[in-house]
Amino acid sequence: MAPIARAADPRSIDVELYGVVRLRAGVDRVALPAGTLAEVLGALARRCPALAPELIRDGHASAHLLVALDGREVIDDPARPIAPGSCLVLTSAQAGG
Amino acid sequence: MSVGGYYGRLLHIWLSGQTATATLLPLERELLADFVGGVGLGAYLLWRFCPPGVDPLAPEAPLCVVLSPLLGTPLTTTAKFSVVCKSPLTGRINDGLSSSRFALAARRLGVDAVVIQGALARLSILHLDDVIARCRVEDGRALAGKTPAEVTAALAGAERRSVAAIGIAGERGVRYATISNDGRHAGRGGAGAVMGSKRLKAITVRGGQSPGIADRARVTQRARSLAAASVGASTEKYRVLGTAANLETFDRLRILPVRNFQDVSIGRAKARRLAPEGLAQAGAHVRESCAGCTIGCDHRYGGARIEYETQFALGPLIGVDDPKTLIAAARACDDLGLDTISAGGSLAFAMECAARGLVDWPLAFGDDPGPWLSRIARREGAGDLLAEGTRLAARAIGQGSDRFACHVKGLELPGYEPRAMQTMALGLAVAARGADHNRSGAYQADLKAGVDRYRADVERAPLRVIDTEDHAALYDSLILCKFLRGAIAEPWGEGAELLEMVTGIARDGGTLRAAIRRIIATRHLFNLREGWTLAEDTLPPRFTEEPLGDGARLSRRDLDAMVAGYHAARGHDARGHMPELLQRELGLMRWLER
Repeated sequence: MAPIARAADPRSIDVELYGVVRLRAGVDRVALPAGTLAEVLGALARRCPALAPELIRDGHASAHLLVALDGREVIDDPARPIAPGSCLVLTSAQAGG
Repeated sequence: MSVGGYYGRLLHIWLSGQTATATLLPLERELLADFVGGVGLGAYLLWRFCPPGVDPLAPEAPLCVVLSPLLGTPLTTTAKFSVVCKSPLTGRINDGLSSSRFALAARRLGVDAVVIQGALARLSILHLDDVIARCRVEDGRALAGKTPAEVTAALAGAERRSVAAIGIAGERGVRYATISNDGRHAGRGGAGAVMGSKRLKAITVRGGQSPGIADRARVTQRARSLAAASVGASTEKYRVLGTAANLETFDRLRILPVRNFQDVSIGRAKARRLAPEGLAQAGAHVRESCAGCTIGCDHRYGGARIEYETQFALGPLIGVDDPKTLIAAARACDDLGLDTISAGGSLAFAMECAARGLVDWPLAFGDDPGPWLSRIARREGAGDLLAEGTRLAARAIGQGSDRFACHVKGLELPGYEPRAMQTMALGLAVAARGADHNRSGAYQADLKAGVDRYRADVERAPLRVIDTEDHAALYDSLILCKFLRGAIAEPWGEGAELLEMVTGIARDGGTLRAAIRRIIATRHLFNLREGWTLAEDTLPPRFTEEPLGDGARLSRRDLDAMVAGYHAARGHDARGHMPELLQRELGLMRWLER
């Protein structure tokens, strides 16, 4: 697999933002503490309030948000642990072109 | 409830010499209910009017302009029409959708479809009015070589006629030439070449008819709620950035086709340059929308409409990473009347042939495609061969080049890497009109939680592909823009309700789904009649014999197993043929036996 960008702090995770998610958030990358997906998304929504509630609500990704673990596996289980050093790719769920 | 939505007739036009002979033919209401409209009704009309085995560029081959029951209502995104023909690129069914004012004007002609057969003696304009006696042919030789935009400017005139035209590529019979209207295109499969073979540079329409709306109050109410839903979060990407936002994301997800599907990423910095933010620095950004659309996904940079498929095909697929070069190439395709996906795909194939020393053409990945697009459209030099498309070019070049000729049934692949999206791999392999992202949105399944997109799921992938094919056929028959899909929770029930309030024909979601299955079966039966065999439902060796750099691979055995599972789930036999019992169950015998 391609090398995955790592957060500077090995205990945290990288969140990469693309498309309208990036536009809303105003940043293209955020480092957050590792935890469950719900905990990570909750922390992201607090850091980037413009993502709530349309894209993130109560730590849950809405139907309009795609979350890919390490850019490879699309995940939506709020209880899914996100290990330190992982990367979450966030983008719009609509892929058509 | 009163009756609306359909006129119950089609306009048949036979071209000969310099004359158009027009005839009105009835379309039974039951038939219209069974095939809905758009690509659905178009599939039936192609079956009915296309002589079996005909050369797609022969005079007898029909060009069908097909409207839909929702067209002309206040419902958002319904200003669309379909163009259906036998593809000169694939020899199979071809249907394209286009949008905007031409659709609305055609709706006022007083017919549900226009079927054109025959050919004129010289390049001409066909003018259609709602009074058939005024259907007339005008000499169009002065417009030879003009761009569709120039033709439109010349013909719209004081009468404010709506115009659909071909560029020089259509005149020269390029097998992936487009038909253009209002800056939009019936793009794939070479409908522009079919129109050019009839010596039609343009069709203009003007009328004042209306089929009526069965329950106008309900339609008005629903139009308001649908418009409100259409500007929510589900369409934000399309409104704010357009589909061009895909490229950078797809690069990161490693599903972006690069250099003729030899790689899946161009790197973060280059992808960022080609993203909407980078395009806006290269050319002034203007957002537009189709007539009657509340979404407005049409993002133009430097005057060129840049959608993801154009962006990938004239960018990473051919090694171009300069946004200004990409914008210029997109504009050239618009002016010449070329399908951007097939143009980029054919060039990418040629570039790889040159890199491998199979041809001595002076082109390489990363070159400005502009001069080559011109050669293709004019069929000059090596452009003449590339105008035939990747499949025929590979046959002519030989030397094993078919192994990396990236097409299905002759249609070049859209911008999704099949080895890293294996549900999409199946969707591309089995699609009726060839490698296709519009009649099968199987990429949606690959980007859902719980789906391992790197694995061929022989049991579930066929069902996922069928589901996306059915949904696409629903939207393309109604016709509603598929970008609305996130705003419609239950499309079968909702679609049935929309049809009922517009046409007065009562049905439920199950009945509508049966109609869509009938439509998809008709497309398959047409292909069978034209010589389809199971061997066509596949992907070229590039995808089954060459793993990606990150190790992702798609085995031939798994692909074949998924294809077999697809046909079994569709109710076909082991050869992919449709048993007569199934045809009867779908209610096809009464319409297709005629």
